[in-house]
Amino acid sequence: MNNSMPDSSTILRETWNNGTTLLAYPNLTSPAVYFTGYMQPGSIADPDEMHGLASFTTDMLMTGTKHLNFQQLHDKIESIGASLSLSTGHLSTTFFGQCLREDLETIWSLLVEVIQEPAFTEKQFKRVRNQILTSIAIQNQDTAEMASQAFNSALYGSHPYAHPEIGYAQTVSGIRLEQLESFHANHYGPNGLVMAVCGGIEPEVAREIFSRTLGTWQNNTQSPPETLPPFTPPVSSIRSHVALEGKNQSDLIIGVPAPKTVSRDYQVCSIGNSILGQYGMMGRIGKVVREKAGLAYEVSSHLGAGIGPTAWTIVAGVNPDNLEKAIALLKQELVRFCSEPVTEQELQDVKTQAMGRLPLSLETNAGIASILVSIERYGYSLDHLHQLPSIIESITAEEILASARRYWDLEKLVIASAGKAL
Amino acid sequence: MPINLNHNLHQFQLKNGLRVMLKEIHTAPVTSTWIWYGIGSRNELPGKTGLSHWVEHMQFKGTRKYTGEDIDNLVSRVGGYANAFTSSDWTTYFETMPSAHLHATLELEADRMVNSLFDPEEVETERTVILSEREGSENYPEFRLDEAVQLHSFQSHPYRNEVLGSKEDLIGITRDDLYQHYRNYYQPANAILCIAGDISPHTVLEEVENLFGGIQSVPMNRSIPTPEKTLNQGDLVEMEGPGEAHYLEIAWRCPAASDPDFFAYTIIESLLSGPSSLNMFGSGSINNRTSRFYQALVEEDYAASVFGDLSANIDPGVYKVFATIQPDGNPGAALKIIDEQIHQITSSELSIREIERAIKQARALFAYSSENITNQGFWMGYASSFADYQWVAEYLTRLSSVTPRQVLKTAQKYLREDQRVVGVYRASNTQEGS
Repeated sequence: MNNSMPDSSTILRETWNNGTTLLAYPNLTSPAVYFTGYMQPGSIADPDEMHGLASFTTDMLMTGTKHLNFQQLHDKIESIGASLSLSTGHLSTTFFGQCLREDLETIWSLLVEVIQEPAFTEKQFKRVRNQILTSIAIQNQDTAEMASQAFNSALYGSHPYAHPEIGYAQTVSGIRLEQLESFHANHYGPNGLVMAVCGGIEPEVAREIFSRTLGTWQNNTQSPPETLPPFTPPVSSIRSHVALEGKNQSDLIIGVPAPKTVSRDYQVCSIGNSILGQYGMMGRIGKVVREKAGLAYEVSSHLGAGIGPTAWTIVAGVNPDNLEKAIALLKQELVRFCSEPVTEQELQDVKTQAMGRLPLSLETNAGIASILVSIERYGYSLDHLHQLPSIIESITAEEILASARRYWDLEKLVIASAGKAL
Repeated sequence: MPINLNHNLHQFQLKNGLRVMLKEIHTAPVTSTWIWYGIGSRNELPGKTGLSHWVEHMQFKGTRKYTGEDIDNLVSRVGGYANAFTSSDWTTYFETMPSAHLHATLELEADRMVNSLFDPEEVETERTVILSEREGSENYPEFRLDEAVQLHSFQSHPYRNEVLGSKEDLIGITRDDLYQHYRNYYQPANAILCIAGDISPHTVLEEVENLFGGIQSVPMNRSIPTPEKTLNQGDLVEMEGPGEAHYLEIAWRCPAASDPDFFAYTIIESLLSGPSSLNMFGSGSINNRTSRFYQALVEEDYAASVFGDLSANIDPGVYKVFATIQPDGNPGAALKIIDEQIHQITSSELSIREIERAIKQARALFAYSSENITNQGFWMGYASSFADYQWVAEYLTRLSSVTPRQVLKTAQKYLREDQRVVGVYRASNTQEGS
C-alpha cells in the first residue's frame, strides 16, 4: 500500500454503456485482490406475502449454473483458494470476493456466470429453502436478532424496512421455484451494478477484465430500481419485548431515526455518536453502564448509514434482572447528551481519533475497496478522503448538541428487548 | 510470488529474559505492537478457572501512572485500536497505531507489566461484567454444548475448562487471587514483545531496552499440566433445551502444534471440513462447500451447515466438527454420515491433487493476511507461544512436504471412534425426524 490517500488522481472510475461502473485502486505490493460491490435487487421488491423472495433468489445463485453444478462451481472457486459471496439487503444485493491476483479473471467470469445463468434446480431449491428455514428457526431463538427485529418492526411500521431481508418461516415456505426464476429475470441486470477492486493488479488490467466480463452483460427485461416509499417516524415512544425461554441474558436496543447519510447532520451526529457510545471503552454509555455499574459486557451506540432511512441506536446485553436499571441509566445519559454540549476535550479526542483512523482504514485491500463503494453509493467526490479532515475539524460542540436534540427525541424513543419474560 | 515471513525480521532477548521480535514493514505509516504472556487457562488450578481472563480485563483498569481512562485515550485519541485476548495457552494485548505513537504504547505495556493496581472496587465491578460476558455466551446452545464437550474431552488437563471460567469460580475468586496470578505470570521472562510495521529496528530496540530492561524477572510458580494424548472411550454428551434447531459436535484428539503430525492433520481438516485461516482479523477466508463433510451432510440434507476447528496448542488438543441440524432433522443420522466419511479417510490414501489443493488454499490465505500489519504482529507472538516463529514462517513448506501416506497414518492414529467425544443438543421445540 502506498502512503497516499486514494483520490481522483489514483482511483480509476469508469462506466460502461450497460450501466455498470468500475472503481479500481492499485496496491501492487499485495499478491491478492479484493473486490466488492452492489447491484439492483433488494428485499424492498418483495411482495407483501413473499418476504424473503429477493434473499432466497440470491441464495440460489451460488448453487449452480447452467454449465456448472454445485460441486463444479465451488470446486472452481475453492481449489484456487478464492472466495465469492452474495447477500441481499433492503435496497441492493452486495457481492464480495477475494483471490490471488492471477485468478481475478477466473473469479469475475464465475461471478458473471452465477448472476446471469443460475440453474435454479428443484433439488437445490428444496435444500436452500430448508437452510433458510433453519436459519430463521435459529434466529427466532437469538435474543440479539429478535430484539433487532422487534426494534425494526416498531420503528419502521408499514415501511418495507420493518421486515427482515431473510423473510419469515411462513412466507419463505410459500415461495415457489418459478417465482425465484421470475424474480431473477426481472430484477437482476447490469444497470446500477457497481464494482470496486483493490489489490495487486493495475487498474487498467482490471478495466480490461471487467470489459470482457461484467461490462458485456445485457438484460433487456431488467426492471427499473424500486422506489422507496416515504418513511413516517413513530409519533410517540414504543416499548416492545420478545419473551424467550432459557436465556441468561437479555438484549436491548434503544433508538430513533438517524439523519440522512449524505448530510452535514450525519457528519455531526457521527462525531456525537462516537462520544456517546464508541470512543475508547464504548464512550459515555460504556463508562456508565459497563465501567461504573458493571451491568453489561457489551454496550455501545451506532449511527446507521444507507440510502434509505436508518436508525441511531444504543445496544446492550444485560442480565434480565438488570434490564430496567440499564434502560434508566441509558435514558439518563441521553438526557445529558441532549441538554449540555460535549466538552471541548471530548470533541478534540474524537476528532483526532477520526483523523488518525483514516490511514488505518487503508491498511487492507478490503478496507480500501469498501471506501470506494461508499464513495460511489453516496455520490461523494473521488477526493472525499482529502475533504473529510476539514469537515471533521469544522464540527462544533453546539452543532452536536443541536443535532442530539433534533434526533434523540426522548418522547419518541423506540425501546425493544428480547430475553426472559418481563 | 513466495511469501517470505522471515524478510526484515529481527529477534533479540533482553537480559531479564524478555524476547523481542521486530518486523519492518514500510507499506503504511502504521505499527502493531503485541505483548504475549505465557499464561492462559492451561495453567489454572481447579476452583480458580477464569483467573487469566479476568486479569486481562483488569489490565485496562489502570496503574499509578495511567488511569483506565488514560489507557483508553492513549490509543483512541490518535485513531488507533487496541484489544486483548486470553486463550488456553496465552494472554495477549495489542495496539495498532499510527507509527508516530509507538513509544507511547511501549511505555504503557512496560508500566502495566508490573504496576497494575487491581483496585478492589474495580475488581467487583468487573466480576459482574465478566459474568455478563459469560451469560451472553450461555444464550447460545452451541456454547453450552461446546463447553460440555470440551469438559469431556480431557480428564484433568485444564484444556477441559472454558477460558471465561465457571460461574462458581467467577463468584468465588478474590482480589488477592487475581493479583497473585498477575504478579506471578506478568514478568519479562514470561513475555514476548512483537512489533510489526513502520519501524527502525535499532531505534525501537533501544526504546525497548530503556523501558523494559529495568524490570526484574523473578522465579515463577507455574502449574504445568500433564498432556493427555488420548480421550475417554466414546464419550457421549446429551443435552436438551429450548430452541428449534439441533446441534451435533464431535471432538477428536489432535496433536500439539509442534508435533510433526500436526501438518498432516491440517491437510485432513482442510479436506474434511474446509481450510482454517491462521488469522485473527478476518483478512480472508475460504468456504468449505467442497469439503467432504459439507458434501455428505449439507448437500444431502442431513445438516444445514457444518464447519471444523483444529486448534494449535502447546499440548495435544482437539479437532472439533460442528453441525447444525434442521428442526426436522436427526443428529444420529448426521453422525452416521460423519462416520462414513471418517471410514473413507482412514481407509485409503488421498490423491496428490487433493494435497496440492489444500496447499494452494493455505497459500491464498497467507496472501490475504500478509497485507495486514496487525496480522503480521499477531503471527510472530502466536506461533512463538506454542512453538516458534519458524512454525508459521515454514508453514507452507511443511504442508508441501506432507505425503498421502502421512495423511492416512495420521487419520488412522487420531480419528478413531473410541477416541472421540460426541455431543448432541436436542431442541425441545421441534419434531425430530426418524
